Amino acid sequence: MTAALVLEGVTKRYGAFTAVNDLSFRAEQGKILGFLGPNGAGKTSTLRMALGLVAPTDGHINVLGETDAARVRHRIGFLPEERGLYRRMTPVAAIAFLARLKGVSADAALRRARDLLAAHGLSAAMNKPIRSLSKGMAQKVQLLSTLAHDPDLVILDEPFSGLDPVNQQSLETLIRGLAERGATVVFSTHVMQHAERLCDHVVLLARGQKVFDGTVKAAQATTPRHLLLEGVFAPGALADLPGLGEMTETPLDGGAVRAVAELRAGAQVQSILRAAFDRNLDISRFELREPTLHDAFIGLTHDGEVHA
Amino acid sequence: MKRLLMIAWREYLAYVRTRGFWFSLLMLPVGISMIVVAPMITARSTPTPTVAIVDLTDRRLETPIAAALSPIGSNAAPMARIVPPPGGPYAGRADATARLRAFLEGPRTLPDGRRLDAAAILWSSGGGVTIDFWSRDVGNASIQGAINDAVKTAVRNEQLRAQGVDQAKLNAIDAFNPNTRDFSPKAEHSEVKLKDRLPGIAGGAIGYLLWMVVLTGAGMLLNSVMEEKNSRILEILLTSASVPEIMGGKILGVAAVTTTILTFWATIGAVILTARSPELTADVAAFLVANGRWAYFGVYFIGGYLMFATFYVTLGAFCETPRETQTLQGPLMILMSIPLMFMTLAFTHPDATILKVLSWVPLFTPFVMAARAGSQPPLWEIIGTCVMMFSVTALELWVAVPAFRSGALASGRFELRTFVRSLGRR
Repeated sequence: MTAALVLEGVTKRYGAFTAVNDLSFRAEQGKILGFLGPNGAGKTSTLRMALGLVAPTDGHINVLGETDAARVRHRIGFLPEERGLYRRMTPVAAIAFLARLKGVSADAALRRARDLLAAHGLSAAMNKPIRSLSKGMAQKVQLLSTLAHDPDLVILDEPFSGLDPVNQQSLETLIRGLAERGATVVFSTHVMQHAERLCDHVVLLARGQKVFDGTVKAAQATTPRHLLLEGVFAPGALADLPGLGEMTETPLDGGAVRAVAELRAGAQVQSILRAAFDRNLDISRFELREPTLHDAFIGLTHDGEVHA
Repeated sequence: MKRLLMIAWREYLAYVRTRGFWFSLLMLPVGISMIVVAPMITARSTPTPTVAIVDLTDRRLETPIAAALSPIGSNAAPMARIVPPPGGPYAGRADATARLRAFLEGPRTLPDGRRLDAAAILWSSGGGVTIDFWSRDVGNASIQGAINDAVKTAVRNEQLRAQGVDQAKLNAIDAFNPNTRDFSPKAEHSEVKLKDRLPGIAGGAIGYLLWMVVLTGAGMLLNSVMEEKNSRILEILLTSASVPEIMGGKILGVAAVTTTILTFWATIGAVILTARSPELTADVAAFLVANGRWAYFGVYFIGGYLMFATFYVTLGAFCETPRETQTLQGPLMILMSIPLMFMTLAFTHPDATILKVLSWVPLFTPFVMAARAGSQPPLWEIIGTCVMMFSVTALELWVAVPAFRSGALASGRFELRTFVRSLGRR
């Protein structure tokens, strides 16, 4: 598969501070890559290097087949983390202006701006100054301005921040649409749920270092599954059930207990349930909890320490 | 280049569509009109003061004083209107003073309803004359001065007449005024006319105009870049165009704005000047055309604008708030006021040594050299100062590209250390 973005051994230092350390990953063409990490992990620095805004201290970057992103800037769409547009311009003029900078002809840029705004419910606002729009509308306009030139690679830095749930949902739909038409989408976020729903591939970063690179499922597999059991049983009664690891028990009303136990690798859930019944344990709730990407991330960056 | 022009055009439209642009455009003509009209309005709105003359000297000094306060020219207003002293006759100086003070201090008015604004009590002292001048308005000394001069002349003439000099001779002496003619080997026909002084005046004026336009344009750029950095548009632009294209586009856009304003001002100025004095307009035009001076001013305007615009654009990339730009502009304006202090010399001595020295300081070169245009600086000085100015500008552009990028992507408030370090990135 062809990669739209390849980073190999990329390091970025600002004086004595290392923002990104020996980072390598690939964003495959037509796929959605989530670039995850807490604040200060080095996500923005990495994206800026990918865009050619800052040069890496070490390593190689290849964007759409070029080592210099400037040569393919007309094929890249970028949404920065902090947003703003020309407040006195109208949405249609702002989108058309940015599209023209990306090489779209004047007529096509205007047409495309109008079509995009209309398709996203902003027809009524297209000729009003951006300063008169609501925050959500202005953010949508800015997002559309990154897409007006039909980019092959779309880089979105924290695109969900500041959006209400409805707009988050519509952004997710938009991102899926981009990938469906063959564009590669790389977006950074520290909210794992978005990545979990959208991404084919995630790269987890902590303190400038890659801690995971693979599919969402593979990331989740790095973290043990958990079993939740509720019922009336003596504390410690579950300890010798097969396949259970570390466990926490919480007393509930009416003498009941809630136990959350880690499942050991290879443990069979059915066997555990059978063993519990064999021992006549009064189990009223038995629930397998698959790890989330959030759990995986916490596990991989336990207390902020990197466990690659 | 296409992107540079697109950025320039957007920048130009962004300014032209603001109220501030139209305000700037109209400010100078309105200002000049006010300079012409304001004194007339002031003169019309200020009533002619009334003055009472109490002559206790028996020298009949009212007549020369009245002549001194009368209007000069048929349309001019008199300096003051002489009114009969109210409350007289007076028993003496003290009595006159006491009675007149009552009119000057209180609400008491003259018989015709007007108020008394001033009074001069003239009395003999030691063979001479003393004038006690009382006035409501202590700040206006012109009436007092005119009365003083009139009395001085009258007493002198009286004494000369006493010495046997006849009145006709005295009148002839008073009317004497030397006919001074001004010559210079530099004047076109030896005798100095306004046309010969024009180069110094026009050069100095253009020097000031360049200073104002260049620094206004640079200030606009500083704020424009700061606003774009603050709203993160700069980061988007950096992914759409190269740094030279962004900087060049912004510099060109604002240059077009300032050129529009200058052209408008020049057109208005030319129309007004032609209406009042077509000869002077022709002389100014001849001055600008002679010896390729339009190109001379053009080169220093372009050099000066590029030098300051590049610096201010780069500086703007490090600022995030208007307060930061204002804080930076303060010390820069103090530095840039140095040539202004010396440029006044250019009107009278465009070839003064201090101006020649300042011409070689690249920051001051464009303005001082423009102001010196009237003295026709030698070619080697023009070439030398241009080389210095454009070398500094080229060096600035060279270091500004990485500094601009660095500033545009940095966050946090302006720090001089960070700015200086970024300049050394090359």
